[in-house]
Amino acid sequence: MAKKYLRMTSNERIQHINLAINFTILVITGFALKFPEAFWASPITDVPLGMTFRGFLHRLSGVATITLGGYHLLYLAFTERGRRIVIDMIPMWKDAKDLWETLKNNLFINRPAKVIKMGRFNFKEKLEYLGLIWGTIVMTVTGFILWFKEEWLLFFPMWTFEVSRAIHFYEAILATLTIIVWHFYSVVWDPDVYPMNWAWINGHLTEHEMELEHGSELERIKAEEKGRPAHFNEGSGPGPGGGRAYPIRKEGREKITIKGLYGVIQHLNESIKNWKGM
Amino acid sequence: MMWRKHKTWMVPLGILSLLFLYGMMGEMAWGDNSKCLSCHRDEKLAKKDARGNKVSLFVSEGEFKKAVHGKISCTDCHARILDDTHASKGVKEADRKVDCGTCHEESEKIFKTCVHRLKAEITCQACHGHHYVTLLTDPKSATYPTNLVQTCGKCHSEESKQFAESVHGVGLSRGRPNHPTCTSCHGTHSIKPSSDPESAVHVRKIAMTTCTQCHASEQITREYRFTTKPVKSYYDSFHGLSYRGGDTLSANCASCHGVHDIRSSSDPKSMIHKDNLQKTCGVCHPKASINFSKGKMHTLADIRGVNFGEKMVGWVRIVYILLIVAVIGGLSFFNFMDWLRKTIDRRPKE
Repeated sequence: MAKKYLRMTSNERIQHINLAINFTILVITGFALKFPEAFWASPITDVPLGMTFRGFLHRLSGVATITLGGYHLLYLAFTERGRRIVIDMIPMWKDAKDLWETLKNNLFINRPAKVIKMGRFNFKEKLEYLGLIWGTIVMTVTGFILWFKEEWLLFFPMWTFEVSRAIHFYEAILATLTIIVWHFYSVVWDPDVYPMNWAWINGHLTEHEMELEHGSELERIKAEEKGRPAHFNEGSGPGPGGGRAYPIRKEGREKITIKGLYGVIQHLNESIKNWKGM
Repeated sequence: MMWRKHKTWMVPLGILSLLFLYGMMGEMAWGDNSKCLSCHRDEKLAKKDARGNKVSLFVSEGEFKKAVHGKISCTDCHARILDDTHASKGVKEADRKVDCGTCHEESEKIFKTCVHRLKAEITCQACHGHHYVTLLTDPKSATYPTNLVQTCGKCHSEESKQFAESVHGVGLSRGRPNHPTCTSCHGTHSIKPSSDPESAVHVRKIAMTTCTQCHASEQITREYRFTTKPVKSYYDSFHGLSYRGGDTLSANCASCHGVHDIRSSSDPKSMIHKDNLQKTCGVCHPKASINFSKGKMHTLADIRGVNFGEKMVGWVRIVYILLIVAVIGGLSFFNFMDWLRKTIDRRPKE
């Protein structure tokens, strides 16, 4: 209960919430077209002009997502923290090894289980982030072909349009299932973080969470705090950490306030998480 | 008692009662029309209506007896003509209100909601004829499928003309009775304006039930050697998906193929002829180019398809399904193992 480590700044959290809302709208309004007889599509299909509004909302959310992506690119390029994110996000050989070792741990091939220390972004997060970039590019390109079909079909034959339609649909399935299977597992159903990883709301990770998910990053921060940089060169940047995650609270127990809606739940969450069994 | 034991006395009684019943039936059903026909068999018998037009009152006995109602009495339909005072003074208020509903109750009930009754006061006789009504299966009947174009065309001349030249009308004129005729789409006694949601040709029904009753039917598609592919592919196209979701602005069958004047795509007058497609698409897509209208419509994803687009979409589908199974399967496996291990580690310690 001691230290908290900044994981997402308020800017990043707003970006995340923005993406989450727009992604959900896109998923619902998109699949409501493909499965118009589904029960969950009835709020759209039962209303007069519902399908017209559905199309409008889908395009609007698509534009919002693309705008967010553009903003995110600017954020990565023109902020110190953003540039560090890019560097830390690059997939390394260690990520593949981490994945392999985790699997061997889980299958009881490694006995006893190896302690895996991962960096600021572990292999799960890198996989998901890169997948998100891939998905956004695919959906943007095919989506714009479907939207501006008159212009596209000035130069390209009809089969390219049909192929775009197929890709847009199957990529949507892939993206939605990835979010449900991969993202929701690692931030909700993973027994280490259940009921939820609260970083997307409060921006923090606890030391325990840091240990489990980002061991080498935690070590790096601790070494930095002691004033003796270890094997890395941080480069320029304001304050310790050079724009990376840094500790924001030194000592003391967090007071439960009614300021935040999640204060009590968060406390409960940590009690559950630190529960060591009977 | 003897009369209880020996029942032979019942035989003549039974025969007598049967004869009595038979006589009654003859009296009721095979009414004697000779009295009426004594005047009405005169071909010159006529009256003048309110406008002074001559109206023939001739009834051909031979024709009437061959008709489906040939064995019933005149007064069964002309129920108000009761006594000999009919026409005694030369002119009498005619008994025009023949009520078919006294026998044909079901039809009458349905016809009460029909646009012909509600808006135009069309009576049964307008379509079915007067004295010489024949069965629907009789090729001479006014309501026989191939004759309906003429029957409806008496009022709807423009539509009948368009229909007669359409691919449906041409096929019908060759005498195939299961070819579509007016009533195949519009219904019979229950015809409603297309703006009525219960109408068979309402925009919400056209692609759901009206065209598909034949174009998605295995029997009819086999008989006439066309496929159900256009219906299947339409339902899976953007137009069809949006339509299925209740979108009335999205194109349905009639938007591109026309209504009464549906023609084969090889016919230069057809809306879907290659020279007219740009104009047809342009109704909704004003920016549609020549290239826009060149693509093959009604394609289904299939790697063995005839069309290049079909093959490409078929391959995209296969690749993506394999990708989805591999990726989502792999991620699920990894996460399940992770969850299992963490759950095992959390077992209460002994």
